[in-house]
Amino acid sequence: MRDLKVSFATRQGVLRAVDGLSFDVGQKEIVGIVGESGSGKSVAIYSMLGLVREKNVTVTGSVLFEGREILGLSDKELQPIRGGSIGMIFQDPMTALTPVYTVGWQLVEQIRQHLHLSKAAARQRAIELLGQVGIPDPKSRVDRFPHEFSGGMRQRVVIAMALSCNPRLLIADEPTTALDVTTQAQILDLMLKLQDTYDSSIVIITHDMGVIAEMAHRVVVMYAGRPVEIAPELELVRHPRHPYTWGLLDAVPRLDTKNERLHTIRGNAVSPLNLPPGCAFAPRCDYVMEKCAQRPPLEGDAGHVDACWLSDDQRVAIRPTEEQRA
Amino acid sequence: MSDDVVLQATDVVKTFSSRGKKLGNRVVARAVNGVSLEVKRGETLGIVGESGCGKSTLARCLVQLLPVTSGTVTFEGTELTALSRRRLRPYRRKFQLVFQDPYASLNPRRTVGDIVAEPLRINHLGTSSEIDERVRQLFATVGLDAAAINRYPHEFSGGQRQRIGIARSLSVNPTLVIADEPVSALDVSIQAQVLNLMADLQHEFNLTYVFIAHDLGVVRHVSDRVGVMYLGEFVEFGDVESIYSTPLHPYTEALLSVVPELNDTDAPRRERIIITGDVPDPADRPSGCPFHPRCPVATELCAVEKPPLLTIVPGRQVACHYPRNLAAVTATAAPQ
Repeated sequence: MRDLKVSFATRQGVLRAVDGLSFDVGQKEIVGIVGESGSGKSVAIYSMLGLVREKNVTVTGSVLFEGREILGLSDKELQPIRGGSIGMIFQDPMTALTPVYTVGWQLVEQIRQHLHLSKAAARQRAIELLGQVGIPDPKSRVDRFPHEFSGGMRQRVVIAMALSCNPRLLIADEPTTALDVTTQAQILDLMLKLQDTYDSSIVIITHDMGVIAEMAHRVVVMYAGRPVEIAPELELVRHPRHPYTWGLLDAVPRLDTKNERLHTIRGNAVSPLNLPPGCAFAPRCDYVMEKCAQRPPLEGDAGHVDACWLSDDQRVAIRPTEEQRA
Repeated sequence: MSDDVVLQATDVVKTFSSRGKKLGNRVVARAVNGVSLEVKRGETLGIVGESGCGKSTLARCLVQLLPVTSGTVTFEGTELTALSRRRLRPYRRKFQLVFQDPYASLNPRRTVGDIVAEPLRINHLGTSSEIDERVRQLFATVGLDAAAINRYPHEFSGGQRQRIGIARSLSVNPTLVIADEPVSALDVSIQAQVLNLMADLQHEFNLTYVFIAHDLGVVRHVSDRVGVMYLGEFVEFGDVESIYSTPLHPYTEALLSVVPELNDTDAPRRERIIITGDVPDPADRPSGCPFHPRCPVATELCAVEKPPLLTIVPGRQVACHYPRNLAAVTATAAPQ
């Protein structure tokens, strides 16, 4: 993805939902996109697949999938990609499934849309898939309706559907946000196992730094439609460079230590209707400088880039890593 | 010690009955199944559990928004469950609820000033100019601009709305605030602001909190003592530090092990215990221990005999035939 920009023309002006997002997803790689509500993480992915259908939307930039430009393709051209080579797992499994058909019917429809299989063969494949995602007794469950499944089991059905056509890329938008922590653990575990069997790449969108740490190889931190930091997962949690990433990491109440006060990021998220001309995080940043009125470039070492004007020395002084403290 | 107890619940049971699939068949779900607890003045009692474990039903039973099926709830020596609705009324302002969803819990057609003033008007606490003054004060207390009192809820962000909900609950100077998932709908940076605010208010007004949440990190951060609920019952109860470092119940142990953590230190992380299956239907409870069908260490005994909630060491209770970390827990208690 290169310089993706998504904006909506509204009565109040131009709403810049995504404002220059670039990243790569490698073979078998799991990329996490993390950000708070309204940071543009979902819009970026949906617009790439032509799923943002509002009349007032403008999408620019470039998205190459296996070398082919997919931005601007017609619905007809996108059809074999959506649900075929790119599988999708959504946040709310109840809305991702239609309540009026059995899960088997929905799986068979999905499979026959993309693969040339007979009804019987597709049904066989559906039962196989349900077994693979850990649904007990798939032969009888295949004829049940979504409401007869629990939240975790429904999300398994959605995963089965996403995998049904051997996708090379899986997109998971907050796949466990609606689930309890024990169910979340089951689903994340399942996704990792299946990724291994299917050799697919994953883009996981979430607001939960913990889920990112558990799953992702590389992380894109987004704020107000812009990437503010991109780094390998371990590098990001141990040596975060951007003040927004610091805030995100420090605001999470932890299991292992108890702080009297939590770190907070002051103020509220900026409105995408009137982004400041410079750094979008500047109004909430504790370390804002004059220079922040200009937009900082996303730069750094090859593997770890961030968009902030702070110098290395300033960062060490503000938030030394454990090694630096030593 | 007994006069230190603000709220005491004894063997609270709440059942809901609904029509079954067959005609004339009644199904009874025991949402809360015999819960006893004591909340001490000035403390924060955390209640943690997954969806459907009965924690919200318990909260509503504690504040008498739902009549209990059996059991008693006593507030500062008065048995609330024995009072008629009318006689209960003067007590109601002493215990207030903060709700989960800051969108659904504020009336969209009233100004936020009106919303915060309503409990004061209902309880006739002051003249209209006194109430106005008090509302302005409350807005300042929760960190909102008093100039905003004539605005409507939709003009505020989620975090600001939760501040308004908190201001409303504080308006009548309650002793006890029961917060039901107050931060679960908020982004993490905003969640931290609201948690810090709640801690400040607790110190300032000497509030007692019952804090209900599913997020184990949040519960650890705010609580002094914690009860872990499963299928309408406490399976474990105790001091927060002790429970989080040495969980006794296999369910608590599994819960703690699967919380995704940042591996930002070299400390070895807990071994993940992924429990299988789903929480059973409270209308169709398993025999014996409610957790036994999913428990990694269950034996035949667990399917037959329900373990009682027993005190293992002072301040630590567990309902399990085979408690975990038993040696560590008794060792730390011995020197005292």
